[in-house]
Amino acid sequence: MIIKKLIEKVEGEAELNFSFKDKKIDNVDINFSFFRGVENILVGKAPQDALVITPRVCGICNHAHLIASVRAIEDGYRSVGLEVNLTKKANDIREFTLACELIQNHIKWLYLTILPQLEKLLDHPSEENYALKASYLSSIITKALAIFAGQWPHSSYAVVGGVTCDPTYVDVIQAENLIDESIKFFEQAVMGMKIETLLSMDSVLDLPKIGGDFSKVLYLLGSSGMAELGKSHDRFIVFGECLCFKIGKSIPTRVSTIDTRFVKELNQKNSFAKGVTYKDRLFEVGPLARGMISKEPIIKSLHKRYKDSLLTRIFARVYEVGLLLDYSKKILGSLDMSEPSCTFDASTQQPMSFEGVGVVEAARGSLIHKTTVKDGLVSNYEIIVPTQWNLSNGHKEEKGIAVKAMVGLTSIDEASFVFKSFDVCSVCTTQ
Amino acid sequence: MAVDKQESVKSLFTAQSAKVDTNRGDAYYEKLYAQCRARLDELKELAPLNNRMDFKESIEDEGLDRRDFLKWASATTAMLMLPASFTPLVADAAVMMNRVPVVWIELSDCAGNTEALIRSDGPKIDEIILDIISLEFNETLLAASGHQAEKQLEDAIEHFKGKYLLFVEGAVPMGMDGQYGTIGASGETFHDHLQRIAKDAAAIVAVGSCATFGGIPAAAPNPTDAKGVMDVVKGKPIINIPACPANPSNMVGVILHYVLTGSIPELDSLLRPKFAFGYRIHDNCERRAHFDAGEYVEEWGDEGAKNNFCLYKVGCKGPMTFNNCSIIRYNEGVNWPVGVGRGCIGCSEPDFWDKYAYERPMANANIKAPTGGVEKTVDEFGLGLLTAAGVGIAIHAAASAVAGKKESEKEA
Repeated sequence: MIIKKLIEKVEGEAELNFSFKDKKIDNVDINFSFFRGVENILVGKAPQDALVITPRVCGICNHAHLIASVRAIEDGYRSVGLEVNLTKKANDIREFTLACELIQNHIKWLYLTILPQLEKLLDHPSEENYALKASYLSSIITKALAIFAGQWPHSSYAVVGGVTCDPTYVDVIQAENLIDESIKFFEQAVMGMKIETLLSMDSVLDLPKIGGDFSKVLYLLGSSGMAELGKSHDRFIVFGECLCFKIGKSIPTRVSTIDTRFVKELNQKNSFAKGVTYKDRLFEVGPLARGMISKEPIIKSLHKRYKDSLLTRIFARVYEVGLLLDYSKKILGSLDMSEPSCTFDASTQQPMSFEGVGVVEAARGSLIHKTTVKDGLVSNYEIIVPTQWNLSNGHKEEKGIAVKAMVGLTSIDEASFVFKSFDVCSVCTTQ
Repeated sequence: MAVDKQESVKSLFTAQSAKVDTNRGDAYYEKLYAQCRARLDELKELAPLNNRMDFKESIEDEGLDRRDFLKWASATTAMLMLPASFTPLVADAAVMMNRVPVVWIELSDCAGNTEALIRSDGPKIDEIILDIISLEFNETLLAASGHQAEKQLEDAIEHFKGKYLLFVEGAVPMGMDGQYGTIGASGETFHDHLQRIAKDAAAIVAVGSCATFGGIPAAAPNPTDAKGVMDVVKGKPIINIPACPANPSNMVGVILHYVLTGSIPELDSLLRPKFAFGYRIHDNCERRAHFDAGEYVEEWGDEGAKNNFCLYKVGCKGPMTFNNCSIIRYNEGVNWPVGVGRGCIGCSEPDFWDKYAYERPMANANIKAPTGGVEKTVDEFGLGLLTAAGVGIAIHAAASAVAGKKESEKEA
């Protein structure tokens, strides 16, 4: 028996086709029926055009696209022997703005998707206006981002060799104030505890200490028995050398090194989205993967008890907000304003042919850009987004990450919630 | 610069449609004031839609100062190019925004305009306005999903037939019979979806570069044959709010204008509200003095960059781009691209990618000025709105549309 079901509100939309066997979900076919052809648009254009075009792939993680595309060009320049050395300041500013983008995304997901949907699913309505809470923190944090990046969404302030902005101390103080305001909201409204306390937690036994709105999620997941749903392949991968994350893969807890050369895209029937594998195997990307590979004690402890379940996955994303707020505050505190913003000498003869790979950790996981330039123009551009890892339909041997997480459930509503715990983004997936 | 190009640039900047009249005289404003007052009084009699929040209560709930609110109202009054005496009316209109239903659909987009809207500006004001605007349907903000969401959309267009403002985000892919973008299990194409929902809208607001002129998806080779809403929908008043993303202040501005006057704001030849697109970026740019002094950034990170010199030589398209970014900026006025030394990419102009591509300096960009000649259409749209007589309340003389008509007559 097949039931068609449309899922909306995934920054675009996806269609899920569930097949049932013995009243349980036996398979799910995920389709994205939307396509703009951004990779095709880049072909034949100047390599640097990617810095302005690729952020427009996605209104939510546009900044990650910018950083991935600038890194791809920098990598390409280096591969043909040009020196591209970023100052610590330029690198820190890119890191700071990227952290801000992740924070706003996670908070918006918590308040616009997880809380309202979970309350509805479990018939536990509240009078809270979550949309206001979502927009409160995400407005503040994107203001901090805009101080350095000019605007959000769709900033293009990163260029080969650094950044174009040259902030003053006043700018930095303004950004620090905004981060402090964000921390205050996160501590008081979201977690009901100090960030230091949150980051020092190392055991599932500490979970009851959490208050705020997030305690509602924990309570609802725990009391309904949903906490342990949504387990998948228990395999994780992180490619992006950035923020406070470590790169590598983890199966399930043994971490080892990786190389982007083993990443392969797969065409999928009936969908504009492509799947992606590493050495022909499927991996989960995103905050849970980052927590596992960076060996965050609390994530390891949750994983030990609940594996890669709904609870662990949701917790990892919200916990990451704490990590990133702490990290971004530290970056601002150590910004060396005397360094130059951009060090690349524009009079250098720019290489006419090169291949480069840029990797970054976006909100939903690793984002990879590959550019191939011939005779001064882009001849091929590939964008591999996090959602392709998490939401592919898999291949002959293995089901996709999200598909596996939904298989075996009896209710479509529960399965939809599991699906959304991956923080789905369709506009990126199909480009 | 070739003569014909110079002429076309000149005709662009001197076209009647490009002129902004910020002082229409006392008699005009007195009449407009009376009309707006009467309209607001009528709106007051209507119940808020869909149990939206009461604005006054929410101001108190949010701990928002009445003074902050009035500050915001006076800034918005100025943005709408109305005299300061209209400030109390704008404040009243903001409270009344929950009387105008808004339906928001996404087509070939990146959700960037929705993201911008929920981070719109004002000291906590527009956050509240987000809740005040009677947003009947928006995919990203709506908690419902699947068939339930589709039903909610159907209900909204049925219930508010002929009364709702339709906001469209994203381009319309026409290639492959529209199969590059389809909706839900029905498989309805974005094109058909738009036509169906546009049919009963009071007016359409195309938000962002994709919905207005096709944007990035329409960049060469335009793989999906993406088009803007105005190329596809005919016979409806259309307001274009281009830019990537569109500035949320301008989105709120258009809604406010509609609440206040019952009409669409005065538009230029590309259907952009003149209050927002009446000036070029360059006219009010914070780095303009450096342009005049011939001080330029020559390459990223040079001395010029450290001194915030003009970005013209590194490709800034401010001199050819109509938008109010240099005045209202982005993210609650915190900053804007020129502020971080990256320059304007001309994102609010038609075909901006192919014509304006940032990396090409202005002088080499071979930009052909977008010349108008659509004044007549503006006029027709103005009248169209009058006959649409939406909102179930008497629509007052569309002040700005009438003004637009007079101007086009003069020009003709």
